[in-house]
Parts: sequence; C-alpha cells; structure tokens
Amino acid sequence: MKRWGLLWVLLTLLIGTAFTQENYSFELSEIEEKPLNLGGYVELYPVVRGLNEDSAAHKLKFYDRDSERLHDEYNFSALVNGSYTKGISEFRAIVNTNVTHDDLDWSEDTTLYEGVVSLRPSPRLTFKAGKTTLKWGKGYAWNPVAFLDRPKDPTDPELAREGFVVACADYIKSFDGPIKTFSFTPVLVPVYDHINEDLGTITGLNVAGRTYFLLYDTDIDFIFLTGESKTTRYGVDFSRNITSSFEVHGELAFIKNYEKKFIDETGTLFSRQYNATSTLLGLRYLSGSETTTIFEYLHNATGLTGGETGDYYSFIDQGYTTYLSSGNDTDLKRASHITGNQYTRKNPMQDYLYLRISQKEPFELLYFTPSITSIVNMNDKSFSLGPECLYTGVENLELRLRTTFLVGDSYTEYGEKQNDFWIGLRARYYY
Amino acid sequence: MKKTLFLTWIVVSLICARVQAAEPQEANPELEKANQLLVQLDRNLNPVSYESYRKLINIEPDGKKKEFILYSVKKGMDRVASVFLSPASEKGRSTLRLDENMWLYIPNVGKPIRITSLQSVTGGVFNNSDILRLDYSAEYNVAQIQDLGQETLLHLKAKTKNVAYDTLKMWVNKTKTLPTKIECLTATSMLIKTMVFKETKDFGNGIVRPSVIETDSPLHKGYKSVMIHANIKKRAFSDEVFTLTFMPNLGSLRQ
Repeated sequence: MKRWGLLWVLLTLLIGTAFTQENYSFELSEIEEKPLNLGGYVELYPVVRGLNEDSAAHKLKFYDRDSERLHDEYNFSALVNGSYTKGISEFRAIVNTNVTHDDLDWSEDTTLYEGVVSLRPSPRLTFKAGKTTLKWGKGYAWNPVAFLDRPKDPTDPELAREGFVVACADYIKSFDGPIKTFSFTPVLVPVYDHINEDLGTITGLNVAGRTYFLLYDTDIDFIFLTGESKTTRYGVDFSRNITSSFEVHGELAFIKNYEKKFIDETGTLFSRQYNATSTLLGLRYLSGSETTTIFEYLHNATGLTGGETGDYYSFIDQGYTTYLSSGNDTDLKRASHITGNQYTRKNPMQDYLYLRISQKEPFELLYFTPSITSIVNMNDKSFSLGPECLYTGVENLELRLRTTFLVGDSYTEYGEKQNDFWIGLRARYYY
Repeated sequence: MKKTLFLTWIVVSLICARVQAAEPQEANPELEKANQLLVQLDRNLNPVSYESYRKLINIEPDGKKKEFILYSVKKGMDRVASVFLSPASEKGRSTLRLDENMWLYIPNVGKPIRITSLQSVTGGVFNNSDILRLDYSAEYNVAQIQDLGQETLLHLKAKTKNVAYDTLKMWVNKTKTLPTKIECLTATSMLIKTMVFKETKDFGNGIVRPSVIETDSPLHKGYKSVMIHANIKKRAFSDEVFTLTFMPNLGSLRQ
C-alpha cells in the first residue's frame, strides 16, 4: 500500500513537472532559405450597401433598372506573391484576382500588380526593371508627392496596389554625422501603347527621381518627375519623431501647368491650366494605453471646387429629369464618362481632414483592435464615419468587420455617393 | 529690455541644463568597473556585429500560442534590423532601429513608417525595444552594484529619457558574466516586466549564452512571451544595410 502511495506521489510529480516545464523547439528547417518562395492570401468579403436613391451616383448607375434599398455584394480575392532568387538576382511577381457578384452581374478582374527583376551587386546598389510600386511620400491616407503611384484608397490605405513599368536604381550611402543616410533613386518611366497608358499622354520616356536624407533624425525626400507624358512636378516630404510616441510628417507637391478639366451645368467641357501646389500635414500619436491616433490635413490643389462639383451634380439631375420625361439618356451616359475619373475618384475636392483612432487590445482582449476612421470634406462639410473591429487571434487569419456611414446634404461629395452606409466582413487567410 | 533679458535668461538656462546633462558621471572606480562588466556582458551575449534567428512565442493564459520567426542583423552600438520569416501574415515585414529611431516596413504599405519603442510589432509582452535591442551598455549606466554571492545585482539607469525602461535591475552570473534575470522598471520604480534568461547554449565561435528568454508582466497578467535564439553568428555588414531604402531587401542578406 505504501508502495502505491509512493508511486502516486512520483507520478504526480512527473506529470506536474511535464506540465510546468515548457519545452521550446526551434528547428533549423524552420529557417532554411529557399530560392523559390510563394505566398499571398485569399479573401472573402461580403458587403451590404444601403443605397442612397436620391444621390447623383445612384441615378447614374441605376437610372434604367430597379434597385432594392439594400444591395448585396460578394467579393472574392486571391493575391499570389512569388519570388525566385539566384545569387544577386531576384524575380518577383504579384498577381491579384478579384471576383465580384452583386444583384446585377458577375465581374472578374485579374491584374499583374508587380513583375520585376532586381539585381543587388551590393547593399549600396540595387537595379530594378519591370512593373513595380515606388510608394513615395510620408502621408498615411494621401500622398500628393507620389507622382508614380496609383492613388491610395484613404478608407483602406494598406491595400496592395498595381505598379507602373519602370527601370530604376537605388544608391545608398551611410555617414557618421548629422546626415546619417543618403540615397538616390533615379527612375525611367516609358509611356507607350499598352505600357503605362494611364499615367499620362501617350509619348516617349519620362524621368523621375527621389533623393532621401536622414538628417538630424528627420526623414527628408526630394522628388521630381519630368517628361512628355505629364507636366513637370516637384515634391518634398518629411517625417520625424518629436518624442518616442509622437510623430509628425508632411508633404509638399508643386505641379507646373496642371490641366484641370471640368464641366458646367449644361455639360460643356472646360479646361484650365495653372501651377498647383498641394500640401499634406499629419501626425501619429501613441498614448500610454496604446491608443493610436493618426490625423492628417490635405490641401489638394488639383481638386475640384464646390462650384465645379455642384455643376456636375446639377448636370446629372437635369439628365435624369430628361430621361424620366423622354427616355433620352444621352446626358446621363455623357456624365458617366466625361473628364475621365476627375469627378468619381476618391476625394475629388480640395480640402480634407482624416482622423483614425485605434485602440489595441482593449479590456485585455488579445489580438482585438477596434478603430474608427473619419474623412471630412472641408469644402462642402460632408463626411464619412467608419467604425471597425479587427481580430487576428487565429494564425494567418485576419477578420475585419467594417462599416461606414456617409453623411452630407445634396450636392455634397458624401451626400451624392451611391450609398449612405455599407457594412462588410472581410475574412483574409494568408498562406 | 526686460523681454530681452528674460529671453537671454531662458537661453542661458537651457544651455546650462544641456551642459549639465552632458557632464559625465562623477568618477567612481567601483561603478567604472561595473560599467566594464556590463560591456563584457554585452560581448558575451553577442558579438558587436552579428546575424541571428529568433522565434518569438506569445502564450495566452489558456495556453494558446502565437509564433513569429525573425532574421536579425546588428552592427555596432546603434544599428539593428529584423525581417519576419513567418507566419505568412507577417512575412516580409521588416523593422529598423538607428539609435532611437525605429521604422516598420509593411510590404503592401511600401514606405517605412515610424514606430515607437513601447509599441509591439508582434503583440504580447515583448515590445519593439526588446525585439530591436541595442547593447545594454549603449543605453544604460550602472548606478549601483550589489554582491549577492554567486550573482551580482546591477542597478542600471537609462542614459536618456527616450530609452524604453528608465531602470533595469539585472542579476548577473559572476562566473559566466551573463544575465540570469532582468526586471524592467519605470522612473517611479513600477515593475513593467521581468525577463528570465535560460538554457545556456554553445552557438560556436566562442558564443556561449542563454538561448531562451522568458518574459511576463504585471501589466499583462497570465500572459507570457518567449524569445528563442538560434544560429547567432559573427558577421560584418556595411552601414547601408541599416537604411530605410534597404528595408525591403533585408531578407536578401540570408545565406
């Protein structure tokens, strides 16, 4: 009996030890370098939109068909990011596919975001040729100096974006002293049929460059773009931590002879050339309780004035009235295509405020981050307000519940959008 | 006139304050020896310039784990960089520290964004200053030394206010000159976290050091984070590796 008692004590101790002794493993196979790498994500993103039936955007899209107040939309995406490395060379390709199904139809779009060859003879020097993203600028929601990037979606600035076909190099030099780092990135940008067509007028070769300094703990970039496809433009940006938890940043872009196209209320097309100077100022603050605040002000000198957007909405209203009375949709079709995307792009006007507040893991809810984002159009006082919740507790799975309310009077940016609210759940699995 | 005098007084006061702050500590042979001990401890933990792999494990109170693997490089007193190799959701993200400046590069976002030492790119108990750690002797001076028999207790005081922890209490194994435990405290002596150094391992080329660091915090009750080191190797890097422009290419340094 005593022997059983001893055995029980021994077993208890052994089991106890097994549970208290953590064994951490770190196998070399986990860090083995492979020449071929494949990764990316698949994403399911159902969205319900509350349509604003009185808005200009709703009239343009649904004028000849019935629509429900609530509009379902199912988005499926897959992004493949692959690379092959041999010696000092690397080939990288990023391909994105979006499939969307809504009440009207199915649509599919596959785009090569990047496809670029890099050569790195030394850490000081890198050459790249192919389709790639440069992502210049320091702003979070907007980047007036990103002359060679497609615009961000300010409601989701971290989304992957399609690049342009370029040939570029990075030369880096470090120093001891007030200037710690200097780098220069010269870029050649061809614009021909089927190559970078959407960058500007179809003509030959453009030249751009960025010079970066880390000077007195401040990041500073000087940027330029010149050539025949776009008018010459210059930019400067900076970013600096004032304290360990408080960062400020800014951008200044000067575009020479910018040509703005706009219509009056009868649909007559006008254009005006002027030198446009756009500015962005922003800050990022992290509080002791891990609340992150990002605040930015944008003055976009290439944007439309309140009068110009008012004329556009008025033209759509008149076109809709004509369609209802006569069935003639000529003006509505014209309004859909006029002036490229000048009126339908994200934040088409001139002065905006951006505010995002996120709280990491409140109430000790690990891997849970609620946040709220607002964009205010200072010109017409309309705004969007978007609360969201992010959960990353399951490895490689990101769940993001997002909703946005659009608020504004008639003839204002957010008052004339297709929706007055939307809600969506984005489930993204990384592999 | 009064205004000019007042402004002059402010400027002189500020200059004096800076001069005073820059003055070295009063010479104390015992503390000088302790500071040399701290330098020796740094060299025992890692060479001046090196590469290494680390696994970070965040453990929740219910035992659920989240793991990250990083490849890290360091040069000199003030340059550290890391790139995430896994999990897939973090792969390719890289971090850079130049003295007190820190940046995070997220491939989709593109441009590096500035981050702070008290944030954590991995969540859990380790913050950015733990993950991008400089030498202890680069950030701290020994303020007090206590003999505890087999161990020495060093009271370390941050050299500047920008260091993540104002004070460290470091227990040092006398024979190996390696830390066994570190308590990280605020200026008001509030305990932020405790790090325990375990499982001393021979990494080759004379590098013998603890391979596992466990940490917990009274601010995150029940949570624990673990850092496991592998393949620590002395390696020279050019300064240009530690720049914003090179951040997207950090993974190319792996051999």
